[in-house]
This record gives sequence, C-alpha cells and structure tokens, in this order.
Amino acid sequence: MRVYETGPPEVLTWEPVEVPPPGPGEVLLRHTAIGVNLGETMRRRGRNPMTLPGGLGHEGVGVVEAIGQGVGGLRPGDRVGYTGRGMVEDSYSERRVAPAAKMIRLPKAIADRDAAALLVKGICAQYLLRDTFRVKPGHTILVHAAAGGVGSVLCQWARALGATVIGVVGSRAKVKAATAAGCHHVVVPRAGKFAEAVRALTGGAGVDCVYDSVGVATWTESLASVRRRGTVVSFGGASGDVHDIDLWATGPLGSPRLVRAVMASHTVTDDETRARARDLFRAVAAGRVTPHLGRTYRLCDAARAHRDLEARRTTGSLVLIP
Amino acid sequence: MQAHAIRIHKTGKADVLKWQVVEVPDPGKGEVLVRHTAVALNFADIQRRRGITPMPIPGGMGLDAAGVIEKVGPGVKGFRAGDRVAYVGLGMPFDAYSEARVAPAAKLTKLPKALTDRQAASCMLKGVTAQYLIRDTCKVKKGDTILVTAAAGGVGSILCQWAKSIGATVIGVVGSQAKVKAAKAAGCKHVVVPRAGKFADAVRKLTRGAGVDCAYDSVGASTWDEVMRSVRRRGTAVNFGGASGDVRSLDFAATGLLGSPYLVRAIMINYAVTDDEMRGRVRDLFRAIGRGDIKVRIGQTYKLKDAAKAHRDTETRRTTGSTILVP
Repeated sequence: MRVYETGPPEVLTWEPVEVPPPGPGEVLLRHTAIGVNLGETMRRRGRNPMTLPGGLGHEGVGVVEAIGQGVGGLRPGDRVGYTGRGMVEDSYSERRVAPAAKMIRLPKAIADRDAAALLVKGICAQYLLRDTFRVKPGHTILVHAAAGGVGSVLCQWARALGATVIGVVGSRAKVKAATAAGCHHVVVPRAGKFAEAVRALTGGAGVDCVYDSVGVATWTESLASVRRRGTVVSFGGASGDVHDIDLWATGPLGSPRLVRAVMASHTVTDDETRARARDLFRAVAAGRVTPHLGRTYRLCDAARAHRDLEARRTTGSLVLIP
Repeated sequence: MQAHAIRIHKTGKADVLKWQVVEVPDPGKGEVLVRHTAVALNFADIQRRRGITPMPIPGGMGLDAAGVIEKVGPGVKGFRAGDRVAYVGLGMPFDAYSEARVAPAAKLTKLPKALTDRQAASCMLKGVTAQYLIRDTCKVKKGDTILVTAAAGGVGSILCQWAKSIGATVIGVVGSQAKVKAAKAAGCKHVVVPRAGKFADAVRKLTRGAGVDCAYDSVGASTWDEVMRSVRRRGTAVNFGGASGDVRSLDFAATGLLGSPYLVRAIMINYAVTDDEMRGRVRDLFRAIGRGDIKVRIGQTYKLKDAAKAHRDTETRRTTGSTILVP
C-alpha cells in the first residue's frame, strides 16, 4: 500500500512494489496479519507528518521467509510480530524487509490475527498499567474509549489485577462492548460531561488514575474526575492533542500527576519492547487479556478499514489480512 | 483579654500592616489560647498583603508560628498551660502576626526540647512543604539525582539538605553567582547558575545525558521549560511556587517527546487534608531536625510590630534565609 499525497482513505494505493533481499541483520517477512492504528489514519490525513511517497503501518505479524547475514536466533518459518518503533512505515504490505532485532517471537497459543489485534495496543496497555500508573488491587481507574483497541485491553487487564474499572464510551451502542471488556461501570457523557457521574460512582473521591486517549475533548473532565494526588494519563488525541494546559490550575484540583505517555518513552531499547511483549503474552496465557479482534479486512481494502475507524463505527482492533 | 496584632484594612504596600490592640476571646471547646513567641514571615504573606492572593479584608496576617499555651478550653486533651507548641495554620484565619490568638488544639504540635521557638517558627511552613515534596510528591530515595531551583531559598535549602541526608545527589540552580556558596552549604553537590535563563544542558551534562529523577521548581514561569528539559525519561517535574509568575501555559502533548515526565503542581492543601496528616508531617520534620539532617538557620529577626519593615526588606531582597517576627 502506497501513499503519494495525504488525504481521504482513497489516497491509499494498492500496487506492486519491489522487495529487496534481506541485508545484514535483516529478515524478509511475509505478513499474515497487520494491526490498524488510529495514528496511521492521522498520518494519511496529513494531521501527523509522514514521508511522501511512502508506505503506511507500524506493526505487523508474519512468518520469516529468509534471513540476512549475521542474523542469530531466527530461522525461516518462525512466527514473529513487531511494533515498528524506529522502522520505516511499511507494514501495510504482503512482504517487507525488517531488522531482525525488532522481531518478537510469538507463542504458539496466539493466532496470527489475534497477535496483530493485540501487539501494539497490548504493549501500550502494558506500560500504561505497569509503569505509567501501576494498577494494584483496590484501585479505581477510569478508561476512555473503553470499547476501543487499547481501552478494551486496559479494562480487562486492570480488572484482572483487582481494580475497579469505570469506562467512558462515546455512545450507548458501545456500552455493551465496554462491559464485556471488563468495565464495572460504564458512563456515556452527557453534553461532554462525565466527571460528576464518576464522582458519584466513587463516593465523591474521584479515581486513582484516568487513562485518556481522547484528548482535547475530554481533558478538562478527566482532570475533574481524578482523586486528590491521583494520576491523569494522556496517551492519545483522537479528538485532538492536549496542547496548552494550565498547570497552576491543577493545584486546586488536587495536585494530580499529569503525564503524556508515548510509546517512545516506554520502548527505548528492543529488549524493553520484548520484555513488555512477554509480559503481555503471559497475561494472555493466564486469561487476563483476551485479544479483541473487532473486524478483519483484506489488505487491499485498507481504505475501508480507515473509513470505518474514522467514523468511530468500530469496536476492538481492526486487522488487515494480505 | 487584649493583645496586639497586625491588622489589614486594605491591600497594598507594606504600610497597610497596622499594629493594633485586638480582643482575644477565651478558648472555646477544643481550643487553646496561644501566646506567640516567634512568628514566621512567608512570601505568601506579602502576596496576600499586595492583594495578589485573595484574603479576607479586614483581617489578620500570617500562617505559622510558635508559642506557649496560656489557657486550655473544655475538652482539650494532650495539652496544658505552659506547653511549647507550633503550628501551620492551614484552614485557620490568618492571625499568626499577633501576640496571642485562639487556635484549635488539633492544629498544634508540641515542640521538642532541642528546638527553640524561633527555630520552629522559621521552618514550619517551609519545612512541611519540603517534607511532602520529598516524601510524597516525588519519593526521594538513596541514589536518586534531584534538581532544586532557588536552592539557596527558604524551602529550597531545606529540600537540598534533606535530600542529601537521604542519599540523593542534589543539583541546585541559583539566580546568581553570589548564592552558589549558600546552595553548596545547603548540600548541593553541583550548583548551576543559568546563562540567559538556560540550565537544562548543564544539568544533562552533570547526569551524563540522562537528566534528573526529579526536579523541584518554585520559580515558575521563567524556569519551567528548562525544568521539564532537565528531567530524565519518565522522571517527575514538580512546581510548588511561582516567584517569577505561575506556570499557566505549557504544551502538554510536546512533553511526550521530552520522555513523558510526570508534571505536578503541588500545593499544601492536597498534602495536609486532615489535622492528623499535617501533624504527621510536622513530626517527621522535627525528627529530621533532631537527627541533624536539617539545620535550621534564622536569617533575621524583627519585632512583630515592625512587620511592615520586615515586608519591605523582603520585597527589596535585603534579607537572606528565613525571617521571623518576635512579639
């Protein structure tokens, strides 16, 4: 899939490309399933920068077809996945060459498309609840877009860790999916407001941590939902990024810790990424996290997947199948 | 009984502080009558007097003080006349600038013998601030590296000493070369004097590129950008004051690229919600002083009735270290 100019989903162009043999330290990968992320729609639209002309897609799952010189620990036939951090965007493709060091071996128990549904979103959820704010039994957390890709993993995992999970979803239609993802309570905002409902659910105290991927549209209410000295995590900007904030004004709101969590700050080395993936796979094996495959599309129909995602018609993760 | 106290009838310059005779009632249920022996002067008092921070008008001044209990009201347990006490008057009317006042017993902590009244008065608010910043806002541990702006200042110098005693490496930032010595004496291993307002690069160099685990900033608007740039990946940047202006605007999304630091605007009311919480902090502070981890120094002493002069001298930066007022 190639993009020559940014714009609507139709700018995604399906065409043959030349895939070179793997160089030293690289592998040739045949993709079997590719996770779709909101960030890709933002780059395609031109809201976030991307290289033009260029490919799209960070993460992928597939089978190693050939290895380059000096590649240890991987053989043709190995099932792997990658998050694409520090790699050229090119996972919306049948085959690609990629650095062997970025490959994460997949456990047998996880099917390719489940792995694709889960990998980046699951690693994101992993650092959010293990590091950004360490969820423990007895905590109450608030998760935005609770029926979405990262949101649904966060909800399941946090519940399994013993937390009480309050989900916020954009519409009535998503309440069921959020409940299925493990939310103890689900709030549908009224005229954009939800903090009062969250306060009511927490005996007035507010939650220990808010995980907000919606951004500018929910930020003020998120700040109003957190308990004294709690944590407010912004990890996405589906409605626009949270740029200008008044730090001083958060004192009277209880001095919460504010953190803009991005993957780059949590996966600095390949080993760090792999360790997070292993923790994720353990959670899957233990039944704490069930991949939530929302819908699959043929890779050549990636434009449709983007359209559905942008129209907020989807729940769970979208996966492209070559 | 009657006593003298500072009263304000309008906000403004230092001369709005009036030394007057006021009526002090008998202590009610759960209250005691305290005769002040030493009263703290805080910059926040000046901000209130100027009208920058709201205060009731007409009204008194001052948040924290030390003194002796003169009379005990009904139902007060654990205190009796003659006890030496100190308090941070959070949730009380501003009235520390007075010879005597009535105060809820629950707000008071008895003073250890080793601590003089004047020492206690000089470190109550500043010391408790340092206590929660170091114990809770960002838990400082042995081996941590921290940054403190205004390292030679009231809270700053306590923070530096305390963090050093825990085993942290302290990097201080001071406004001028003249304050380097004071910052070193407060326990800073390194002291940075900003050049054209910049200090993050210097801090990075001192930490081999990593940045500090936690940065404590009370300067605010003029230092905050550099503070955020001085923090390590997923470290913590704490603002607890705005000597140069409050931090009213920052690009939050961009902090992702700075390593996703935690940002906190720490204010005391969130760290001393109950009287017990406050007293726990005061006791922790007294223990640290008792161990010699923190040395309390009084910069200058004024008579309470000369509070206006003390304010003026503080505003014109003619004072160093903490200032106390003595009735």
